[in-house]
Amino acid sequence: MANMKIKAKVKGDTLKCKVQMKHDMITYNIAKKKGVDANFITYVTGKIGDRIVFEASTSQFLSKNPIIKFEAPAEGVKKGDELTMYWKDLSGKEVTESKKVKGLK
Amino acid sequence: MERRKFLGLGLAAVALVPASVSAFDFRKDKPDTWKAHKVDEAIKALYGDIKPEESGLSINVPKIASNGGAIPVGMKSDVQLKSLALFQDANPEAAVAAFTIPADVKTVNYMTKIKMAKSGEITLVGEGTDGKFYKVSKKLDVALGGCEG
Repeated sequence: MANMKIKAKVKGDTLKCKVQMKHDMITYNIAKKKGVDANFITYVTGKIGDRIVFEASTSQFLSKNPIIKFEAPAEGVKKGDELTMYWKDLSGKEVTESKKVKGLK
Repeated sequence: MERRKFLGLGLAAVALVPASVSAFDFRKDKPDTWKAHKVDEAIKALYGDIKPEESGLSINVPKIASNGGAIPVGMKSDVQLKSLALFQDANPEAAVAAFTIPADVKTVNYMTKIKMAKSGEITLVGEGTDGKFYKVSKKLDVALGGCEG
């Protein structure tokens, strides 16, 4: 669990999720100054089973260690289901982590 | 025969899966969007020549951001959307993020944190499931620039 912090909770009929991704998000400008390669998260998805609940393409202008909050309908989410977050960065690194959805009986 | 039936079911299930996956990578499919320096150009590269309505969406940002390195941006919609894109005009390139909205999400409620090098305007453009386009812009002051954008 080193690359992400995931929180997923069902409240009423809404699935509320909050994800923090550990990433430096080095923009092209910073990369030039520091003499390193630019590297940032470019693609993020959130899934419950096979169902996509979140999907985004991102640029270098998300903050360092970016936080994303999103909501989706809770319909069909069962106790014991896991939210699986996946991200990919410019260097090609891919990370997938899961966390159980809370708030279900 | 039981086994044969079972295998048949398995095949049917596998065939159904790709239909429910909407994977769409904007960076691969719309590469020009991410290189555009102006908001208008980025919108054009992403959605083409559109005439968005100034309604349906809302942005929630602080009036003055004390730290340009992490500005919380709340994004909401009253209408059902296919996709949503976030832009700003303070950094070298305009595009920040593009979201594909799953079909079962009726109204969008997202938040993320972004970087801005200086004060500027944040623009949100959404493509509705009704084929219309929606847009909203909001200015904000950045007190301390976010690590040179």
